[in-house]
Amino acid sequence: MIHLKVTNLHKRFGGNHVLRGVNFEVNGPELIGLIGPNGAGKTTLTNVLDGAVKPTSGTVYLGEERIDQLQPYQVARAGLGRTFQVTRSFRRMTVLENLYVPALAMGNLASSAEMKEKAMDVLEFLTIDHLRNEFAQALSGGQQKLLELGRLLMLNPDVVILDEPFAGVHPRLMEVIYSYIKRVNEAGSAIIIISHQMDSIFSLSKRLLVLNFGDLIADGPPDEVKNDPKVIEAYLGSDDEEDAA
Amino acid sequence: MKKQIPNLAGTIFLILLLAFPLVYSRGDYDYIMHIMITGFFYAILAASWSMLSGYAGQFSFGHMGFMAIGAYTTGLFCHYIYILPQPTELCSEMSFFGQYLVIVNPIGVTSTTLTQDCLRQALDAWDGSVEVTPMPVLLGVVLGTVMGGIAGFLVGMLVLRLRAAYLALFTLGFSEILKATISAEINITRGQAGLELPPLYPEGITLLGNYYGPTAKLPPYYTMLGLLLICLLILTWLARSKFGLFVRALREDQDAAAALGVNTIRYKVLVFTITCSMAAAAGAVQGHYVQIITPNMLFLLQMSLVVAMAVIGGIENFVAAAIGAIILQVVLELLRTSFVIGGVEVDMTIWRLVIFGMLLMITLRFFRNGLIAPVIAYFGRSDVAEETVAKRKVNVQETGS
Repeated sequence: MIHLKVTNLHKRFGGNHVLRGVNFEVNGPELIGLIGPNGAGKTTLTNVLDGAVKPTSGTVYLGEERIDQLQPYQVARAGLGRTFQVTRSFRRMTVLENLYVPALAMGNLASSAEMKEKAMDVLEFLTIDHLRNEFAQALSGGQQKLLELGRLLMLNPDVVILDEPFAGVHPRLMEVIYSYIKRVNEAGSAIIIISHQMDSIFSLSKRLLVLNFGDLIADGPPDEVKNDPKVIEAYLGSDDEEDAA
Repeated sequence: MKKQIPNLAGTIFLILLLAFPLVYSRGDYDYIMHIMITGFFYAILAASWSMLSGYAGQFSFGHMGFMAIGAYTTGLFCHYIYILPQPTELCSEMSFFGQYLVIVNPIGVTSTTLTQDCLRQALDAWDGSVEVTPMPVLLGVVLGTVMGGIAGFLVGMLVLRLRAAYLALFTLGFSEILKATISAEINITRGQAGLELPPLYPEGITLLGNYYGPTAKLPPYYTMLGLLLICLLILTWLARSKFGLFVRALREDQDAAAALGVNTIRYKVLVFTITCSMAAAAGAVQGHYVQIITPNMLFLLQMSLVVAMAVIGGIENFVAAAIGAIILQVVLELLRTSFVIGGVEVDMTIWRLVIFGMLLMITLRFFRNGLIAPVIAYFGRSDVAEETVAKRKVNVQETGS
């Protein structure tokens, strides 16, 4: 049973208090949307969860293991995988090699034949199998996004964080990403999607987390969150602010 | 078939290199052999540097420093340590399997007629009745290689958080500190006067029934070529293993690699350790070949030469870097011959460096991955584009879109 528990998470960069006591739990293969205005702390939260940034205080547990002080590679091996806001494929490596990196790092596949078979399965699912021997830099932006998602399939984590998976993607590739999310979720992984595309995130997520200036201001079903006054205020501004303006 | 052309060309090139000392017989044999041996030396440095900088993206300017560590380790080892059947009572010594391991006291740069080290004094007293056994050169080379690897490991640990220009400057600083230390410690290293080393084969060697003396060129030729081939085999094996995949991922995006479970710290340190030990091995063998080492081997110009050789060959392909180094070394030497045009003498000892510089600039401007690596890639990846298009056609037919 997947269990991610974030407790009283704080992160300060100098005087900038980016995360202010964030608390939430993920229980089982949930499909969660993480939203918030620019500068809310979404990417910092992701970086703290994946070990790239150490929190100022607070704890993160994945199952029984405390992961907030681990190195990113240890967090990945513990079962938390992520994509990046700006796609970060290994550009001068082939598409297949991009997929082999997480598979070999995890060492969870018995043979190279099994690894290749799984990689081809992933590429076929993502509709980029014809590009398998091309360098990643030859792929379009959307295809590189798919490749990044493919690497996560090879990593096979318990918790997947997708940072802006729909940004700048053609509608046809968007469908592939939707089916990707469903497949990963149905396979038993919890997914946290960070996105500014409200339509996509409201239709996909079963639960929404809303960050604003480092505070988790809402946590609940999308319909409930949509009508939460604090969320409306965060996105649209308060009447007081309008009056002041 | 097209894909096999680089392998075929490589095999022919290798056969030519193996046969060369046996078939070449002109009067300048020793000179040409020296050029080739030096070419192999630079090829090891360029290939290992290519793995470090081209594959792993760790742009180091300290490679010649590690080479010098290898050379000076074996140099000091062979210069100061001997085995004697009886104690000198003058040197630092210890019992060693029924013999005595003697460590000679350093006397720096001085005339042996005025000041003699403890061993010479003892030998004078014994009047030639005691036989001195020097340290085996091979052991010195192995020690040099290990020391280079240890230094590479330590530097690798220190530069874990450094990238790009900071890493280059750090490693350059390391190399300069090493040069200054060797120059300053005249008492031990003999500074700019240089440290003399025994030849690679002090007693000579018999190959295929022919005896070759300590100064013969053929044995060091095959030794350096053999070392180059061993290094290339190790690098090829590493490049094709997960090590190669991970260090390339490290080069492309260290954070993304870590997020996918790659222990970037381990592979960064490993690549430093392995490539630096190769540079040290090359330095140790070269030291015994030329029989004298000085801090000048650490000049920045020497490092620049290795970088330029790798860049012109192809920084992201260590075989191309090695071939580039051999060809450039030969061409640079052959271009030394000055000539006269219309009564004006063209001094090629200077102009060859201008040509070299221009070649480097043209390569950097127009051929970012060197001159040889793209040729290998052209043949090696010749079927990729066709395969992509063919597979795409099949996909389109199957989906009807």
